[in-house]
Amino acid sequence: MTRLRPLLNLAIILIVWEIVGQFQLVASGALPAPSAVLLRLITDWSDYPLHIGATLYGAGVGFVIGNLVAVAAGVLFALYPVSARVARGLNVAIFALPPIAISPILVLTLSDMAPRIVLAALGCYFVTMTATVVGLTQADARAVDVVRAYGGGKWAALRFVQWRNALPTILSGLRIAAPNAVLGSILAEFGGGGRWGLGVYLLGSLGRAEPDRLWGIGLVATAIAALAYFAFAALSHFVTRGTQAVTVPSAVLSSGDKPRPAWQQALIIAASVALPFALWWVLLALLRVPTMIAKTPPGLFDYLFLLPSAPIAQGKLLAALAQTLPMTLVGMVCGLALAFALALSSQIWPAIVRAFMPVALVTQTMPLVALTPLLVLMLGRGPAVILWITISVTFFPAFVTMAQGLLQVPRAALDVPKAYGAGIFKQLRLVSVPASLPYLFAATRLTVPRALLGVMIAEWLATGTGLGNLLNQSRGYLDYGMIWAVAVISVLISVMFYQIVVAVERRTLGRLGMASAE
Amino acid sequence: MKLNLNRRNFLALAAAGATLPLTTRLAMAQATPFNFQASWINDAEFAGYFLAIDKGYYKDEGLDVTYLSGGPDVIPESSLIAGKADLTLTTPDTTIKAIVEQGAPFKIIGAQYQKNPIGIVSLASNPIKTPQDLVGKTLAVPPVNVISVEAMLKISGVDRAAVNIVPYAYDPTPLIKGEIDASLDFTTNVPFTIQQAGVEATSFLLYDFGFTIFNDTVVVTTDTLAAKRKEIVSFLRASRKGWEENLKDTTVYPPTFAETWFKGTGRSIENEVYFNTAQKPLMEAAGGIFSMSEEDIAKNIEALAAVGIAATREMFDTTVLEEI
Repeated sequence: MTRLRPLLNLAIILIVWEIVGQFQLVASGALPAPSAVLLRLITDWSDYPLHIGATLYGAGVGFVIGNLVAVAAGVLFALYPVSARVARGLNVAIFALPPIAISPILVLTLSDMAPRIVLAALGCYFVTMTATVVGLTQADARAVDVVRAYGGGKWAALRFVQWRNALPTILSGLRIAAPNAVLGSILAEFGGGGRWGLGVYLLGSLGRAEPDRLWGIGLVATAIAALAYFAFAALSHFVTRGTQAVTVPSAVLSSGDKPRPAWQQALIIAASVALPFALWWVLLALLRVPTMIAKTPPGLFDYLFLLPSAPIAQGKLLAALAQTLPMTLVGMVCGLALAFALALSSQIWPAIVRAFMPVALVTQTMPLVALTPLLVLMLGRGPAVILWITISVTFFPAFVTMAQGLLQVPRAALDVPKAYGAGIFKQLRLVSVPASLPYLFAATRLTVPRALLGVMIAEWLATGTGLGNLLNQSRGYLDYGMIWAVAVISVLISVMFYQIVVAVERRTLGRLGMASAE
Repeated sequence: MKLNLNRRNFLALAAAGATLPLTTRLAMAQATPFNFQASWINDAEFAGYFLAIDKGYYKDEGLDVTYLSGGPDVIPESSLIAGKADLTLTTPDTTIKAIVEQGAPFKIIGAQYQKNPIGIVSLASNPIKTPQDLVGKTLAVPPVNVISVEAMLKISGVDRAAVNIVPYAYDPTPLIKGEIDASLDFTTNVPFTIQQAGVEATSFLLYDFGFTIFNDTVVVTTDTLAAKRKEIVSFLRASRKGWEENLKDTTVYPPTFAETWFKGTGRSIENEVYFNTAQKPLMEAAGGIFSMSEEDIAKNIEALAAVGIAATREMFDTTVLEEI
C-alpha cells in the first residue's frame, strides 16, 4: 500500500485537474484538462521529433562541455586550494547569474547553436564543480596517508584514493546538472531564433491561442528534464550500488587553504574580484564581436557614466531597480517562508506533502511563458503575479534543502524532549529547527539568485515593469549598452545578496559553534 | 560493438537533423553567399522569399542565399551588426531610433509593407474601432512596439495615461478570455486565430490613424551596401519576382511549403493562406514590390517625428531600387 501511495496521489490530482479543466472552472477555461492536453499531443506528435532532437543536441553538447570543464576545475580547486580562492568571484558570479539576463548577451555575441550550448553548460558547471571538490576533499585521510607514505604525490593520491571517493558524489551532481542543461538549452532557444527546438516550437505556438498545445510542449520539456534526472540517478545507483541523498549545492567552497599573510590575502581577494571582469573582457576580444554590440567593462562604464546619454540611462536603471528590488526581497522571504513551512509540515504530515510534490516538480520545469496567460487570468498583472512566479521558482530547491536538514537532526537529540513527553511541535521548536539552521542558510543562498530571476521573468511576461521589462525593451531598441548594464547589474545584485547571506551565516553559525552546510 | 555503432549513428543523425534545417543552403559552385535574416518565425510574411528559393530565382541571379529564421526575441538589426546577415527586414521606428541614438550604420533601401500591418485587435463583442475607444481600456503591447502606440495615441489626441498598457507575449488567449480589451499585433494574422477559437475579432491599422509608417523595411549596413551592391540588387530583383508570383493567387503557394518551410511551426496552412491574402493590399505598390515613393517616405518621417524620432530623408536610399 505504501508503494502505491504516490500513484494514488497522482491519480487524485489528475482527476481533480480533469474535472477543473472539463468544466472550465479555472480562469474561464485557460487551464486545459489533462485529456485535452494528451489528445493534442497525439495530434501534434509529427511536429515533435525534430524539435526534441534540436533541444537534446543543444542540451547534450552543453552537458558534456559544462561537466568536463566543471570536473577539471573541481580537480584544480581541490589540488591547489589557492586557485579555488582566486576563482571564488567567478564561481559566485556563475552561481548567481540569472539566465534571463545573460541569454540576450549570448545570443548577441554567439551564433547558431552556441548560445544554447553555453547556457546549458553554465547550468551544469556549478553543481558538478562543487560535487567534484566535495568528493575529492572528503576522501579518507588515512588512505591518502598510505599513498603518501609510499612516496606518492598529489596526483597519485588523486588517482588511487580521492577519485574513487569522488565518483559517487560527481554522479549525484550530474543528476541535478542534467535537467539544468535541458532547461538552459530551451531558454536560449527563446531568444536565439533558429528553426528547431522545443523553445522555438513554444514561441511559434504562442500566437495560436491553444493552451492545450502550450501545456503539451511544457510537459514534454518537463518529461525530458525528469528523464535526464532519472537516467543519471539510475547510472549513479548502478555505479555505487547505493543511493545518495540529493543536495542542491549552494556554497562556494573556500576552505582548505593554509593561513597566509595579510598582503597575500588582499591580493587573492583582489584577483578573485578582478577575474570575472578580466574573463568578460578577454572573451569579447577573442570572439571579435563588434564594439557596438559587445560592451567591455570600460565600454559599459562609458555608457553609464561618461556619455551624454548617461544620465538618461542611469535614470531608467534606477527607476527599474526601485521596482524590482523590493519585489525581489519580498518574493525571497515569501518563498523561504513557504519552503520552511512545507519542510516542517513534511515532518508532521508527510503524506500531504508527498502528494503535493508532483505538482511542485512540474512548476519547476514548466516553461513559465506557457503558463503566463493562465497566471494573468487568475492573478492579474500586479504584485500578486510577480510574487506567485517568484515563489514558484524559489521555494522548491529551498524546500529540498531544508527538508534534508530536518531529516539529519540526530535521533538521540530528539529522544530527549520525547522522553519528557514533548509533542511534535515542541520537538520541532526545541531541537529540529535550531539543529537545521545551517540548512536554512544554505536554502537562503540558493534562493537569492532565483528570486531575482523570478521577479524579472514576471516583469518581462506579465507586468511590464522593472528590470525585466527594461531588458526586453532595450533589446528591441538596440540599446546594447542597456542590455549589458541590466545583465551586469543583475549579476552584481545577486552576488551582493549572496555575500550578505554568507556574512550573516558565518556570524550566526560561528556564535552557535555550527558548521556551514554545503 | 554493433549497438555502439548504432547509437553513434543515431546521435550523428540526430545532430544532423538538428543543425541542417537551421540554414538552407543552395550550394552552387560559383554562387556568391548571401545571408538573409528574416524578422519572424517562418510564416506567410516571408512566402515570397521561400518561393524565390524553391524556384531557384536567387540561384539564377548567382546568389547562394542562406535564410535565417527570426522570432519574437530575434532583433534583426543585431544580426547585421554582428555580421551574421547581409540584409534584413525591420520595423522602421526601431531602425531609425538606432541610427539616431546609437549611430548605427543602417540604410533603408526598400519596404516590403507599404502600409504597416500592425493594428489594434479586439473582440467584436467588445469592439475598439478607433484610438478614442481605448480610453479606460487595457491594451497589451509588445514592449518594443510601445512607442508606435504612443505615437498613434498622440496623433489621435488620446491621453496616454488613460490607456492601461501591459506587456503582450503574442498569445491571444488573454484577449479571447477578456482579461485584456485589445492587443497590438499583425492584423493579417491574429483575427484568423481568434476566429478559430470561436470568437469574432475586429481590428484597425495604426496606419489609418496617423501612424503612417512602412513595415519590414529592407535594411543593410552602409559597409555592405558599398561592398555588395550588385548582390543586394540581385537579391531584391529575385525577391520581387518571388513576391509577384506568390501574390498572383494568394492561395496557391502556402500549401507547397507545408512540409518544408512551414513544417513544425505549429501553425496551420489555412492560417498562412489567410495571412497571405490579407497582406496583399498592404504590399502592392505602383512602383513594384519594395518601392518607397517620396510621398510615403515623407509620411514616415512625419509620423516618426510625432514620437520624437528624428528621421531624415538620408536614412532612406532609393537608388538601389532603381537598379532592379
